[in-house]
Order: sequence, then structure tokens, then C-alpha cells
Amino acid sequence: MKELEKTKRISIAGVISILVVLIAVLSYKKPKHLYVNNSKTTLETITTNNHFVALDALKGNDVVLVDVRNQFEFDKGHLENAINIYTPEILSDKNTSILNNLKNNNKTIILYGTTTNDVTVPFLLLTQLGYSNVKMATIKNSYYQNQLITINDTIEKPIADIKAFIDESIKKAATIEKPIPVKVVTPKKVITVEKKKKKPAEGGC
Amino acid sequence: MVNRKLAKVSSFRYTILAIIFVILAAGLVLLPKYVKHEGIDPAELLSKASSTERYISSDVLADKIINQDPSFILIDVRNEAEYEKYSLPNAINIPLKKLLDEDSIPYLNQSQYSVILYSNDNIYADQAWVICNRLNYKNLKVLKGGLNNWYNTIINPPSPTENMTNLDYELFNTRKAASMFFGVVYPEQIKADKPIVVKKAAPKKVITVEKKKKKPAEGGC
Repeated sequence: MKELEKTKRISIAGVISILVVLIAVLSYKKPKHLYVNNSKTTLETITTNNHFVALDALKGNDVVLVDVRNQFEFDKGHLENAINIYTPEILSDKNTSILNNLKNNNKTIILYGTTTNDVTVPFLLLTQLGYSNVKMATIKNSYYQNQLITINDTIEKPIADIKAFIDESIKKAATIEKPIPVKVVTPKKVITVEKKKKKPAEGGC
Repeated sequence: MVNRKLAKVSSFRYTILAIIFVILAAGLVLLPKYVKHEGIDPAELLSKASSTERYISSDVLADKIINQDPSFILIDVRNEAEYEKYSLPNAINIPLKKLLDEDSIPYLNQSQYSVILYSNDNIYADQAWVICNRLNYKNLKVLKGGLNNWYNTIINPPSPTENMTNLDYELFNTRKAASMFFGVVYPEQIKADKPIVVKKAAPKKVITVEKKKKKPAEGGC
């Protein structure tokens, strides 16, 4: 009898542990968002592929414009046929299903914001999550009399040669040093000219 | 009949239990492969990247460089040619392509210094920031506006107009002083260096010139 009780206990313990493992397996949830690309491949794709789109290339049948600004800005004015996905909400269920839909339909997603820099974060996040059809629009949006004005944005172009500017300033300072006394001389010359005019006038009398 | 069958099955019960355990164990071996996730969670990355905390302004950076703050390193993510042409003092060049090379990781993944990334704009620097942040590298910052903004504010600050406040004038003076630190020379700076020599020499010369011209004028009469 004692032995039978022992084996019973063993089998009960076995069944319970199997149940625990089963529950654990069943309740295991796959995380909603998983990176598809690792950091190295992401870096490779963003440095080798051209993911910038200029203003005149934004139109097309396979293109879907996504406005990453907030709802308020979007309502104020947005590009034609654009949809609104605010950057901090890009991972919500609704937006994920929209993006997946676009991906499955082989559409190119072009992100735009107030400036090009606004879309850097959503672009990189989506690229890492495996959306290979995402591009960045290099445009700048501003308002003029409540009208949305969209112009091309120059990106990562040095606006000035800083070294040349510094060298130039040194040269300039060196050359300007000499002309200054000359400038001081000229107004005084004018004074003497005035005196000249007075004297001949007196002499003429 | 039922009892007999039950007895038959129950005689195998340990084998059955053992087999189930082995299958579950095999399943456990497979599981971690799917969970494996390089870097921090996408949602966490998004919330970190959405905040503007990572930006450092050019004025703060200039102040740090001038005061020789030892707590930070500068990383230039532009290409070599641009780096050779002009770079901030003591900056290290890690082109964006080589960001995850073995040589560059010790600079980025450390807790000793804060790392300030910059490029011409801040797009490339931001891209580098996002990639490094996914790998949970700490203390990374981005120079707001990049070198273009650096040029506009520190190297070539716009002079304030008359309708601006005193604060703007003060800011301009600070920036101008900073630009002098970074090598820009202003004409008045040289004037200030040797003012007495120039001024003393000039009036003397002027006086002689005046006398010469007066005499012929009188003679003309």
C-alpha cells in the first residue's frame, strides 16, 4: 500500500509539472514588434541605398505619403492624399495594421514632416522593423497665410566652408588694418578743400 | 475491460510522462531563438528617440570646449574628406558607414565620457544615435543643427539689430568671443591690438598733408 501511495504522488507531481509547462507555453505571447534587421544590416542599408526622395518625385500610383506630424498640424494643412501617423504612435495596433497593409500591397511609404530631420527616427525604426519600402521625403513645410508651403530641403550639405571662412577672416583683418588710416585722412582732406574755396572767394573780392 | 485497458496504459505511464517531458524540453531549446532580440525593445527605442533630450545646443558645446570640460568626446560622423577639411577641436572621425566597426565601438559603448555626435546637419548624427541607442549605448548626445548651425551661431553669429533686447546683445558678444576662440579674427580685434600706434601715426601724417595743401592754395590767390 505504501509503495502505491508513493507512485501516486510521483505521477500527480509529474502531471502538475507538465500542466505548469503547458500553461507557460500557451500563455507565451510573441512580442508585438520585433526587429527584422539587426543593427549592422540596418546601417548597411541606410548607408548604401538612397532613401531620400525629393519633392517632385513624391507623386505616383505606388506611393503613399505619411505625415508624421501631430494631428493638429495635419489638420491645419497636409499634402494631397497623405495619411497621418504621428511618430510617437507609430507602433500602435491601428498604425501597424495600416503599415502592414501598405507593405503587403507593395506600396512605397514616403514619410514627411516639418523638416527632413523629423522623419529620421520613424524611418529608422520602420527600417529596423523590416519595412523595406520606407523612404524619407526631403521637404520642408511651412505656412504662409494659413497655406501650406512645401519646398525642397537640402540635407547634410555644408552651408559654408568653415575653414575657408576662418582663413578669410584672418586675411580680411590683416588687409583692413592698413586702409583704416587712409580713411581717416580723407575726411580731413575735405576740410582743407573747403578752406581752399573760401580763400579764393575772398581773394576774388 | 476498461479496467484492464487502464491497467495496461498505466503500466506505461512513466514512459509516457518521460516522453512528454523530453518533447517539452526539446521545445524549450527551440524557444530562445525566436525571443532573441538584439538591443532594446522597439517601443522603448521609440519613446527615447521621440524626446529631444539627446540634443545639445551649439552654445553649450562651445562653452564646454572653451572651458576644457574633460567629460565628453566629440565624434564626427561625416566622411573622411569632410573631416579633413574642417572638424571641431579634438573630434574623432567615425564615418557613418564604419559606425559599428570593431575599432569604433570602444568610443561609443563606454560609460566614462558622454559622446557628442555631429554631422553637417543632424540627420546622419541622428541616424547614428538611433542605431547606437538600440544597442543600449549610454551617454550619447547629438549636436543640434550640426556644423551648419555651429557656423550660423558660433563661427559667424548674426549681429543683433537695434530692436533686439539686451540679452541678444549679450548672447552675440558671447558668441563672438567664442568665435574668436575658434580662430575667427575680426578687424576690430587687430585694431584693438595696436590702436595707439596707428592713431598716433595717423594724425601726424595728416597734419603735414594739410599744411602742404594749404600753401599752394594760398599761393594760387
